[in-house]
Amino acid sequence: MKLNTKDLISAAILIAFAVVGLWLNMDHTLGSARRMGPGYMPMLAFWLLLGLSVIVLVLGLFNGPDPIEKWTGPETLFLILGAAGGTAAGLVAAHMDGWVSSSWNPLGIGLFVGCMIPSIVKSWRPLFLVSAAFSLFGLVLEPLGLMVAIAASVILSAFADETHKPAGVAGLVVFLCVLCWAVFIYELDIRVPVWPVF
Amino acid sequence: MDLVTNLAHGFGVALTLNNLLFCFIGCIIGTAIGVLPGIGPVATISLLLPITFGQPATTAIIMLAGIYYGAQYGGSTTAILLNLPGEVSSVVTTLEGYKMARNGRAGAALTIAAVGSFFAGTVATILVAASGPLLTQVALSFGPADYFSLMFLGLVISAVLAQGSVVKSIAMVVFGVSLGMVGTDVQTGQQRFTFGIPELSDGVGFVSIAMGMFGIAEIILNLERPEARSVMSGKVGSLMMTREEVRRSIPSVLRGTAVGSILGILPGGGAALSSFGSYMMERKLSKYRHQFGSGAIEGVAGPESANNAASQTSFIPLLTLGIPANAVMALMVGALIIQGIQPGPRMVEAQPDLFWGLIASMWIGNLMLLVINLPMVGMWVKLLAVPYRHMYPSIMIFCAIGVYSLQNNVFDVYQTVVFGIFGYLCSKLRLEGAPMLIGFVLGPMMEEHLRRAMLLSRGDPMVFIERPISATMLGIAAVALVAMLLPNIRKGKDAALAEGG
Repeated sequence: MKLNTKDLISAAILIAFAVVGLWLNMDHTLGSARRMGPGYMPMLAFWLLLGLSVIVLVLGLFNGPDPIEKWTGPETLFLILGAAGGTAAGLVAAHMDGWVSSSWNPLGIGLFVGCMIPSIVKSWRPLFLVSAAFSLFGLVLEPLGLMVAIAASVILSAFADETHKPAGVAGLVVFLCVLCWAVFIYELDIRVPVWPVF
Repeated sequence: MDLVTNLAHGFGVALTLNNLLFCFIGCIIGTAIGVLPGIGPVATISLLLPITFGQPATTAIIMLAGIYYGAQYGGSTTAILLNLPGEVSSVVTTLEGYKMARNGRAGAALTIAAVGSFFAGTVATILVAASGPLLTQVALSFGPADYFSLMFLGLVISAVLAQGSVVKSIAMVVFGVSLGMVGTDVQTGQQRFTFGIPELSDGVGFVSIAMGMFGIAEIILNLERPEARSVMSGKVGSLMMTREEVRRSIPSVLRGTAVGSILGILPGGGAALSSFGSYMMERKLSKYRHQFGSGAIEGVAGPESANNAASQTSFIPLLTLGIPANAVMALMVGALIIQGIQPGPRMVEAQPDLFWGLIASMWIGNLMLLVINLPMVGMWVKLLAVPYRHMYPSIMIFCAIGVYSLQNNVFDVYQTVVFGIFGYLCSKLRLEGAPMLIGFVLGPMMEEHLRRAMLLSRGDPMVFIERPISATMLGIAAVALVAMLLPNIRKGKDAALAEGG
């Protein structure tokens, strides 16, 4: 047997998605073929997806080998810690009072924490620091305004690339603040807080 | 002649100051991202989608189209001068183009790439203009069953032509269709798979998916790869071509235009596939095929014409049938729907400004690109001096502001993060994002047509086989699927796509 790891993992993800989808779809009326209810097309789609992923799974047992890059011990550990920490942070935030639990902030906090923890491992930085910086932008934007959000997420994402120098990052922040102000605020006039309000 | 009056109307629309300006902006941005490796038209268009919403639909589409075909022009520049394809569609141009540059004929290669593209663009523009109303007439006789089968065919072909495993690509299409089911059911108003999240009742954010899977995921993958950028050593030399070179290029340009025009219309086709197809054809048919590998001008003239022709004819299925042929066209559907225009055969009638204005703008844009590219080659090459470490935070910030401004809701920002991580995972597992995006766009439309078709046929699924148009579409889809099971064809396709990038 030549196991195709990539296909097997892909199949597992898609099968899980299809099964969860079919399970959730039990809430919806199927209707008949003539008068299809809201659940009919999702049912067809999920069954088809399930069937196709099973084919991918079976083929994946033979058409390998196609190994994925092996995760090192710390990589795996911090990924799990990140998932757990992110979920925990999000749940805690949701049960607190004030800003942290308002609107989508618990989700943002969960994503941010979840992405920051694996970023401790260097090889995860491109993936998780960019994602964390993106989440940070969402968190900071409404309370502190666009300029702070740009500065914070550019500085955080800069750590994803080792060739960055402090002066270059500072220049980039200023450049992007001016550019985004000109394009989004002056030209397009989008409704977004620009400066922090105290 | 109807065509002439219509085109005149189109030029009237395209030549207004605002549309000219945005066409120009689109072409400039397209050329820039064409030159820069690491960001392609899909990412750029999804990035700029939110910015265009403030503009009228016609202006928005004119600009987005300019980005797509502009990228085909720009991609050839670095391919020829630096052996560095700025776009996937320019990969084959490096084979002969860079050799020509080493032989001191860089100028000639750039000229034929631009002039060939311009010729191909002109022909493709006429083709779109002529076939549009014709196909629309045909499409108006389509019933719901025919529509369903047509979309089914489109999805099958886009999966079959995608890179890698066909089964995985089809699974991704179905995955996209399933994601498209999230939201309010149109006919009953029931919420499906929304988990009580009000933001999901309009469905999963289309821009979030596109930006996450093609913008953010792309940044991350580029960051993981070490940066490899060479600086141009040689000189561009004279842009003039010798008479001999002109004579040799003409048949290649013609063949490239034909190949590109045809492959562009195919669902799943587009610029990358056609430039490769043209290269293969030149290597077989050219009189100078023995010179291939040492800088044959045919190997530049053909593919560069082909990719530009294809990038324009791929608008045909979108404008006439409302079916996106590739990921870029899926983004266009998204842009149109957000603007409140349902793409489909009625668009030519209902939105003549958009249809004819876009066609006219394509020709104007091609003319602009000729000027933007040829005399200013040096300037574009300098763009490569911008290191990626300065580019990626900028792309990220633009994504973030753009996605937020859609509905002034941070939920969209977080959604994008999730799709970014998912897109990264997909590319590590060789799951294709493009078929998924097309499935996502077509899914809800397919559901609507399926329901209508079954209602009309009183629940009899035979309607899909009894109607001749529908039966033909399903037949072609079946043939395409069976063909992929034959080992020889599959190997041919894999080899083709592997070389073509």
